[in-house]
Amino acid sequence: MVSNAGSLAGGGDVEATTRKSAKRSVKIEENPIFSQSSGSSVNEMVNLTDESSSPSEETSPPRAASRTRRRTMSGGRAEHHLLTTKTGKKIYTKGRPPWYDKRGKSLKQSFLIGICGGSASGKTTVAEKIVERLGIPWVTILSMDSFYKVLNKKQIEQANSSDYNFDHPDAFDFELLHKTLDRLRVGKSVEVPVYDFNTHSRDPNPKMMYGADVLIFEGILAFHDKKIRDLMDMKVFVDTDGDLRLARRITRDVSERGRTIDGITDQYFKFVKPSFDLYIAPGMQEADLIVPRGGDNDVAIDMIVQNVMAQLVERGYDSNQNNRDRHDLVREDLPDCLPQNLIILKQTPQVRGLVTFVRDRTTSRDDHIFYSDRLMRILIEEVMNHMPYRDVEVELANGKKAAGKRKNAQICGLPIMRAGECMESALRSVVKDCVIGKILIQTNESTFDPELHYIRLPPHITRYKVIIMDATVTTGSAAMMAIRVLLDHDVKEEDIYVASLLMGQQGAHALAYAFPKVKLITTAMDSHMTENCYLIPGMGNFGDRYYGTGLDLDLDEPFEA
Amino acid sequence: MAVSPTCNGTSPSNPLTEEQQVDKLIKELQEKGTNFVLLEKTVQILELQTILRDRTTSNSDFVFNADRLMRLVIEEGLNHLPYSEHNIITPTGFRYDGIQFNRGNCGVSLCRSGEAMEIALRQCCRSIRIGKILIGEEQKVLYARLLPDIVTRRVLLLYPTIGSGTTVCKAIEVLKEARVPDENIYLVSLFLSPSGLQNITRKFPHITVVSSDITSLYPNHFSTKYFGAE
Repeated sequence: MVSNAGSLAGGGDVEATTRKSAKRSVKIEENPIFSQSSGSSVNEMVNLTDESSSPSEETSPPRAASRTRRRTMSGGRAEHHLLTTKTGKKIYTKGRPPWYDKRGKSLKQSFLIGICGGSASGKTTVAEKIVERLGIPWVTILSMDSFYKVLNKKQIEQANSSDYNFDHPDAFDFELLHKTLDRLRVGKSVEVPVYDFNTHSRDPNPKMMYGADVLIFEGILAFHDKKIRDLMDMKVFVDTDGDLRLARRITRDVSERGRTIDGITDQYFKFVKPSFDLYIAPGMQEADLIVPRGGDNDVAIDMIVQNVMAQLVERGYDSNQNNRDRHDLVREDLPDCLPQNLIILKQTPQVRGLVTFVRDRTTSRDDHIFYSDRLMRILIEEVMNHMPYRDVEVELANGKKAAGKRKNAQICGLPIMRAGECMESALRSVVKDCVIGKILIQTNESTFDPELHYIRLPPHITRYKVIIMDATVTTGSAAMMAIRVLLDHDVKEEDIYVASLLMGQQGAHALAYAFPKVKLITTAMDSHMTENCYLIPGMGNFGDRYYGTGLDLDLDEPFEA
Repeated sequence: MAVSPTCNGTSPSNPLTEEQQVDKLIKELQEKGTNFVLLEKTVQILELQTILRDRTTSNSDFVFNADRLMRLVIEEGLNHLPYSEHNIITPTGFRYDGIQFNRGNCGVSLCRSGEAMEIALRQCCRSIRIGKILIGEEQKVLYARLLPDIVTRRVLLLYPTIGSGTTVCKAIEVLKEARVPDENIYLVSLFLSPSGLQNITRKFPHITVVSSDITSLYPNHFSTKYFGAE
């Protein structure tokens, strides 16, 4: 729920904010910041049906309809994972830095911050503000909502008649939660369940999450389980006054869900409050830091951020780390065997001859364009061999029947600008009805992190097999970013292909390790690279040669007068 | 639906499937010195063949996919032409041990359908020389324009679908008259019927045959579909 960068734009000097918040607690009609909260106590959410059936007279202001928060799934599909801060800095709340050591292991363990607090206390706001102020590009936020247990028939009936306690520890699957956090912490990918609050079951399509430098876990019972507490590097308790929390719940439920005040307070005193006193409030004892007044407490958030940064630095975190890791890649030995999801084109004389043309510095621009086009066509034809096909029977002109195959997939090409665009025509000459998206990824000059600047995808991108196209994959960082962006658009990992003319072995290993289901297809592979990440022997700057924008004059055809 | 695309046309009296018969035939011919280059039956090759066989395929789809398959057949054929080692320097200044294709090849298209393959050939070899042979009714050579130095070249004889093989035999005779040795003739086709193959190789056992499929289920409407005229 980090989607709304706008809601983060609060801040300013502390006193002003505090005053504003005091006012807010009185004037509850105002759109409060906590409307972005994860809504972790679901008691009121699931009991929506019976409550709303008795229309209440004093509720439903007209504006409510436009900003309803009828979330019925945990971690909704449309969730954005790219957060742009006020300063224009991009923070990826999903994913991990695209570099791995030679064994394909992630280079460091995530820093896990646990945030606990009662419902509507502003946990998500605190999490978002920490993310923003840390200024670290890779952060993952995990909500406890995803870990509600699947209910049996009897429990569903209870839930429907407001008799199921969603604020009780028994409602959560702590076992799965522990497993998930444990994997995320070491940078492994996890499938986070998507909980459907209508059916009280898990959606068949879980959400993929990847580890990050900083991992934030928030939930009402975040500190309940010792095993989970022990994983945390920092425990933060958001302590918002009970009256304020109740007031927020009332505002939220009345204006956005059309519920009666009576229903809300019933619920509150039956489940929410007892659970808070019994299970949530004791979490305060476990906390390293207590944040009074939740997301409005900028002083406390700054303190947390400073503390986290200090601890990160102590354990060797360094924003230039990625750059150094890249250089480590250059020197490190590689695993003995190539990754399983890597396909290198059969090295026929034609393929080898074409690769020779493309690599040769003396190849004329004419020949370079012609032979690289031809090579790319062969490459794309090979990619088609890895698409799904179905059996068909066709009739010949003479009436005879023959069994055959037809492709069972729609193809979307996603060239990485600029060099990847060279492959567009090859794709078009192989797949008549392909659609072509576009993505621009550039390396930040100071941090050496790849950054996403532009993307165009067809609507319903999940229906396609997506071929990410780039002329060369050296360290794999751009391709990795493109894959992650696609995953963020809910494209399945197994529907993604990376096609390139030349891959570096390091890059291929990094990609294969991070995304084992993505197919990597290349015409040639180089096993070494220079200190500044040029492949050896490589093919130079392919885009510059293909488009003729290179400065190297002796590669150019003489100017014809 | 585990039927392979080639085994539907066998008569029930014959215990061997057509595929097995073709395998046997190829083995026999290979012993006599014929070289075979058959495309690997990947799913995508099978799809292309399916589209070309299907009578309901539209003309534009037919042309598009025929061009694709012809390109693949020619690419595969070119793999069997001679090459030599060639070491080059990359733009970044490193040595790469590559290969270089040898010169001295040419195409000869057998009119009319063979001319459809010229585009695919030129997409692979930009400026390759192309001769032409036109054979009319009763196997009469109506037109033949070959290269003056064809005797020194390797010749890719282009003809997409080969049924009985009589026209192709006639064309090879024309090449032989121009003193092209059998070993330098590469017959490149999309579909080749087993009987046509037998007819051709009985007469010319030392040529190289390049094809995507040897089958009796070949589309015999190639010219109609590709050119849109009878």
